[in-house]
Amino acid sequence: MSHSTVPRSRSEAKTPEKTPAAPGGEKQPGRSGKLRFGLRFRRDRTLLLMTVPAVLLVLVFNYIPILGNVVAFQDYDPYLSENGFVAILESPWIGFEQFERIFADAAFWHAVQNTFVFFFLQLVLYFPIPILLALLINSVVRPRVRAIAQAVMYLPHFFSWVLVVTVFMQIFGGAGIIAQTLRQHGYEGFDLMTNPELFKYLVTFETIWKDAGWGIIVFLAALSSVSNDLYEAAAMDGAGRWRRMWHITLPALRPVIALLLVLRVGDALTVGFEQFLLQRQAVGVDASDVLDTYVWWNGIRNQDFSYAAAAGLIKGVVGLALVLTANKVAHLMGEQGVYKK
Amino acid sequence: MTPNAASASAPSRRSFLASTAVAAVAVGGGMPLLAACGGSQEGRKDGTTSGKDAQKILPAFVASSVVAPDIPAKNGSSAGFTKAIATADLKTSVPKKLGSGGKLTILSPFWGTPPKGDNPYYTAMNEAIGVEVTWQNQDGVTYDQKLGAVLAGSNIPDVVVVPGWNLMGRIPSAINAKFADLGPYLSGDKVKDYPNLAAVPTEAWQRGIFGGQLRAVPFPAPYVTDIAPMYRRDLFKKKGYSVPKSPDEFLSWAKEATDAKSKVWACDDMKWTAFNIFSVYPGSDKALWWNLRDGKLVNRIETEEYLEALEWTRKLYAANVVHPDAVSGKAGGDARNRFTAGQVLVYNGNISGWWGSVSEQATQKSDFDMAAFDIFGPDGGAPTLWAVQPANIFTFVSKTASEQQIKDFLALCNYCAAPYGTKEFMLTAYGVEGTDYTIKNGLPSKTEQGVNEVNGAYDYTGNPAPYVAYPDFPDVTRGIVEWQQRMGAFTKKTSFFGLTITEPSRWSNLADNFEQLEDDVVRGRKKISDVQQAVSDWKSKGGDGLRDWYQKLLDDTGSAN
Repeated sequence: MSHSTVPRSRSEAKTPEKTPAAPGGEKQPGRSGKLRFGLRFRRDRTLLLMTVPAVLLVLVFNYIPILGNVVAFQDYDPYLSENGFVAILESPWIGFEQFERIFADAAFWHAVQNTFVFFFLQLVLYFPIPILLALLINSVVRPRVRAIAQAVMYLPHFFSWVLVVTVFMQIFGGAGIIAQTLRQHGYEGFDLMTNPELFKYLVTFETIWKDAGWGIIVFLAALSSVSNDLYEAAAMDGAGRWRRMWHITLPALRPVIALLLVLRVGDALTVGFEQFLLQRQAVGVDASDVLDTYVWWNGIRNQDFSYAAAAGLIKGVVGLALVLTANKVAHLMGEQGVYKK
Repeated sequence: MTPNAASASAPSRRSFLASTAVAAVAVGGGMPLLAACGGSQEGRKDGTTSGKDAQKILPAFVASSVVAPDIPAKNGSSAGFTKAIATADLKTSVPKKLGSGGKLTILSPFWGTPPKGDNPYYTAMNEAIGVEVTWQNQDGVTYDQKLGAVLAGSNIPDVVVVPGWNLMGRIPSAINAKFADLGPYLSGDKVKDYPNLAAVPTEAWQRGIFGGQLRAVPFPAPYVTDIAPMYRRDLFKKKGYSVPKSPDEFLSWAKEATDAKSKVWACDDMKWTAFNIFSVYPGSDKALWWNLRDGKLVNRIETEEYLEALEWTRKLYAANVVHPDAVSGKAGGDARNRFTAGQVLVYNGNISGWWGSVSEQATQKSDFDMAAFDIFGPDGGAPTLWAVQPANIFTFVSKTASEQQIKDFLALCNYCAAPYGTKEFMLTAYGVEGTDYTIKNGLPSKTEQGVNEVNGAYDYTGNPAPYVAYPDFPDVTRGIVEWQQRMGAFTKKTSFFGLTITEPSRWSNLADNFEQLEDDVVRGRKKISDVQQAVSDWKSKGGDGLRDWYQKLLDDTGSAN
């Protein structure tokens, strides 16, 4: 992604000038790698410089905090010292005890199970929808209609979960519009919001309503890069609407879909947080707890930091394995995936 | 354990209370003792401080009598003031501005919608006290969730308000580690620099001792339960209902009164009232969970009464007489709003909600009327109630605060603790005359602006002895105090009443998930047998050890009752 076209062509223009200046460079295969690295470094230094802020951010907020995971092997008490970091040094080490506690906790396995169920439902029910919506929007010709439709679809993304849940409650809750209308006609008992059985579909539905519209952006971008000439040529050859979609549009989207799929699978254990926390009481812990809320509940709410860190670490390790697997699968399918060696 | 219903009802200023009559009872009792347990691996101060050790720390008590109450405190109730005092007759309790003009940031729970930070009320308060307070308000209903994160950070606000029901898990250790010792400023006669604080009952100060040091300025409260079942008196009258007198009667009334088609349900979540009806030990403070029964300490979760209360609440849910939004719990919104909207006829909450709702509705619906009904026993008749702590909201100052900041904090508390009948009280409780309230027929009456602004902010930073004073609604004042006195007559004290106890951290997470389990059981998602299972797990994972620890503490301190 970072290889934007302009600097690349400039650096390519420079390279031939420099190469002759390094005498015998090609004759020394042993040093060529290093040399090439040096050259590449000099060639790309502007680009590298531009990534520094982002790298710093990731370093400070993602990599350095990883070190804090050591508390998973401790009985960490942040109040042993004035400073929570110093307290890490003073807390006793207890090996894998926290992990043993976690694996023996039925609530943890509930959370794992829920996480996977929600992920799977999101994958099947949610993932294709932005693609379909993007195709739909793309087929709208009038720019005004298109802009309005897009705006309407994007809007729910900016609502907070509190608002989304409240809106759903007003519509699907036991005292909501639907329930009250049904009551007027003699039917009792409609309450989608507090039904633990249907909760998984409810949250998927909420996610779709909130974020599916937002999700179309990246697909629309991919679609806009497809040259109109292709469609025109295909149409000239007599290809119908479906053929054009099958042979032009979808192949154009394929790398993006594969990329997002890999990312999504790697992120499988992150299915949402606030959404589940908000509706925790409504359907009960067993139905609503996911790994993130489990970690949060134990760590922040109950102040059992080591326990929560251990649970978080498990999540991280499984997540890493999932990314690697998904990426491998993408390579096997001939796609680029997230990264390539 | 969060009495959510209580929190949801906007515990508005000056409505938690306690009685001066019982002051010093808690301290009088026992042998000296400090950190009774001694068994903690961290060597930190768990246990409690009472007796002679507490005497060394506690501030002196100097009674203040500006105005005699119209209804004197009795049976652990608040004192009631029903008459308004003319502006010209108001006394001055803070003759000299004590604040240095410094700044304080205060983290505090807030039930409702906080007003803008630069409103006339805040400005006037800050000006009068001489301290520039910046409020960091967090939703009171989910305050427990924020508090842990804030305290675990290295940068905490200057002042932090902690409700007693949020002292779960390791929060008590956090308090001992993060907050300053106020002893050097308040112990013994030093408190006399702050006369209004000197008039705070000693039993409330006793509750402010955390980890062997006086760390909190307490919010004095009556020891009578603060959770009252409140009903719509106007709608009861209209429909011809009489107030239920037993759990069975309540259930059958509820079935009759529920009319879902018209969007009316009999009640909201009644769990906390059920605990009172069935005489379950209080859930608001962990030390109160224990009581000596037949020579053995028993925890509330082990009792038959606990299960009975859950079972009765479950029946209400199963009969569909509970508002569906209450089934959704916190996501469903505020119970008090459903009550004032007429969607539920009975809800339980902090009794101060009575005044809150009446004063709020007075500007809108003229026929709105409500009251708290008497808690009945499991078979009807008189209940056995258990005393709650004589102070259960605490305000702390960060250890990193400078001496000047601590003094400013105490100046703030001293100002807010001004008793009824003073100028300071009027400003704190009613705001700026002409803006936040007006005097009509000699009675102060809050304007709409006043209702929004003078609410929830300076409520926890200092309070006088428990009282109820709503001269604008003398009937509400009378209703609250008399309810407390009637219920107070049935109220007994559990073994650790009045003490602030820090449990050893290895057991501090043991009972964390019981509230969640209760909520699942009453909503029919889990069974009573799941509770029994959880209790036996609790015992084996440390509950019995905790029992021994409390027993030792009891041997050392002597019981409160």
